[in-house]
Amino acid sequence: MDVDFGGVVNAVPGLRHEAGPCTEHVESDAAQRQRVENLLAGENRLLQMVASGYPLSSVLASLCRFVEEAAPECICGTYLIDWSVPAFKKGAAPSLPGTFLDAVEGLPVRTELCPCGVAALEKRQVIAEDLASDPLWRDTPYRGLLLSHGLESVWSTPILALSGRVLGTFAIYHRHPATPSTRVQELIAQVTHIASIAIERAEDEAALQRSEAFLAQGQHLSSTGSFAWRVDTDDITFSEELHRIFEFDRDDRVTLEQVTSRIHPDDLSLFAEQLDAARRTGKDLDNELRLRLPDNSVKFLRTIAHASQDQHGRVEYIGAVQDVTARRLSEQALERARSELAHVARVTTMGALTASIAHEVNQPLSGIVTNASTCLRMLAADSPDIEGARETARRTIRDANRASEVVARLRALFAKKELAMEPVDVNEVTREVIALSASALQRHRVVLHQDFTDDLPIVVADRIQLQQVILNLLLNAADAMKEVDDRTRRLSISTGRGDHDHVRLAVQDVGVGLDPQSVDKVFDAFYTTKTGGMGIGLSVSRSIIERHQGRLWAEPNDGPGATFVFSIPLDPAGVANAAPVKRNG
Amino acid sequence: MIERSLVSVVDDDESVRESLPDLLKQFGFAARTFSSAEAFLASEFVSETRCLLLDIAMPGMSGPDVQHELRRRRQEIPIVFITAHGDETIRPRLMADGAIECLFKPFSDTALLNALDVALRTRWP
Repeated sequence: MDVDFGGVVNAVPGLRHEAGPCTEHVESDAAQRQRVENLLAGENRLLQMVASGYPLSSVLASLCRFVEEAAPECICGTYLIDWSVPAFKKGAAPSLPGTFLDAVEGLPVRTELCPCGVAALEKRQVIAEDLASDPLWRDTPYRGLLLSHGLESVWSTPILALSGRVLGTFAIYHRHPATPSTRVQELIAQVTHIASIAIERAEDEAALQRSEAFLAQGQHLSSTGSFAWRVDTDDITFSEELHRIFEFDRDDRVTLEQVTSRIHPDDLSLFAEQLDAARRTGKDLDNELRLRLPDNSVKFLRTIAHASQDQHGRVEYIGAVQDVTARRLSEQALERARSELAHVARVTTMGALTASIAHEVNQPLSGIVTNASTCLRMLAADSPDIEGARETARRTIRDANRASEVVARLRALFAKKELAMEPVDVNEVTREVIALSASALQRHRVVLHQDFTDDLPIVVADRIQLQQVILNLLLNAADAMKEVDDRTRRLSISTGRGDHDHVRLAVQDVGVGLDPQSVDKVFDAFYTTKTGGMGIGLSVSRSIIERHQGRLWAEPNDGPGATFVFSIPLDPAGVANAAPVKRNG
Repeated sequence: MIERSLVSVVDDDESVRESLPDLLKQFGFAARTFSSAEAFLASEFVSETRCLLLDIAMPGMSGPDVQHELRRRRQEIPIVFITAHGDETIRPRLMADGAIECLFKPFSDTALLNALDVALRTRWP
């Protein structure tokens, strides 16, 4: 007979209950205590297995054995459900032959097929006390399967998640017709609860593993690793991909020393500087560094990290590191090609320009030479042709004027544009230039220090031309440090008030510095120390500053490198007119 | 009076057209000037010309174009190229194509006289 025990069997956690053989009988107090202790110990053992991450199948098998020991004559089976089919999946039935479990695997979850189907779909316990006589299952292949394994009774209970989702079913079989006692019902409630914990945990773990696998795959595909860095203890955690990028052994514990040992020697001072800044300020990190690996190969890494504080004020950086070597190398190749191209273009335009200047000048020169020769010959003849000589001399003068017109036209061609004067905040335009050149400076691995005087007066200047000068000074400074590898490529830019209502800006580098003899030559047009340089940047810069009634000069540093300074009056018009200088802000 | 050999000057630059004829007359030649290759080729003086002072780069037909056109017409005249483009690399090609000389402006009177001398001693088939 099918006995319904009231539908859903709710799992009750942490039950201290009694269970025993399937048939009730009187037991002594001592035996009862012993039994309860055994049950508790068994439950603890199962929960421990779950907590320590035993495979689900062995937890479920132990769970079956636990019930079989607590209630002799019971034979247990636990089945999982693949709801996408839906069909039963193997769980565990340690006391039944493998052929039985094999037969359950893939069995559709349907109410008319077996008691477990009803339990799963209707979320209620199903008791089939005597399969042989139960009309409900008479025509099912399931009945034949059970009977062929000598099983005559089955009680099937759904295993429910907290959310009410059916995770599987728990079945107890007997080799004779049987019904569950209250104790056994309590035992069933206890183990289905443990089973639901075990199954949910296994599902969570699988989902976590899947998500970790996704993450690892994503990190691998994008060559991006992640890290955590505790600033006070220097505890460092690297993701698997970051281990790979740094070519550390997967199982190595990463230390700051190990990381430092991988940093390219030329970038060590930059790295130390950035670590120091991070420790002091806790500001976000965004930098690019190179690694030198044991095989001497070089990698370019882009790092972005954000610091957060726990409640004790301890700072931890969490960040991502991307291997941008391939991109950098192609950028470098591109840049080489581009500068090569620019050089060729410059050479050819210069060539074309020179040729056209030569042509323009040679035409009148040719006239001059021919006319002068004719003139001489006319005068040298036996009867000098004075009138003819006068005419050729006139033409000579005219051709010479033509030549000088050509030169004047050339000068007009290179003539400077008018200044567009407006009120300008030197700090602001400098910040704009820095923002514009940030990536170029970063590429040169330059560490920029800014020292702006806050209440700087507004000047009247040509904003764009002033920015050209500042940009030129910045890039020159970065260029001058291109070969510097034994010290930080420190570039300091400062603004301040100068004497006589002037504003000054200084750009200091620690680069190759200036030869005392060439301090002034650097401002000459076409003087350059750079292979790619035209040598007009500083000369143009100086003429711009001078047109602002200011001064641009260079001075050697006490240490390595040079400082370029310009100083401009608040109002150039005021200076030019010798009128009192107006203060604009 | 001995008929003077005609030297024709083809150049788009006016100062050349003004100055060269006087010098050529001083040398004892008759001179005619043309401001374009087309004007020269269309004139009645082609067959009469004993030497052609020919600019290379001109609007319309270039100097070498004139050289080819004359060869096509079987009216080959000794040619002295004159150019304001100081590109030495064109000289060998022009010489190989049969030019007498290639003078780079500004050129001296003696250089011109030497070139004319060679041109007039050349006998064409």
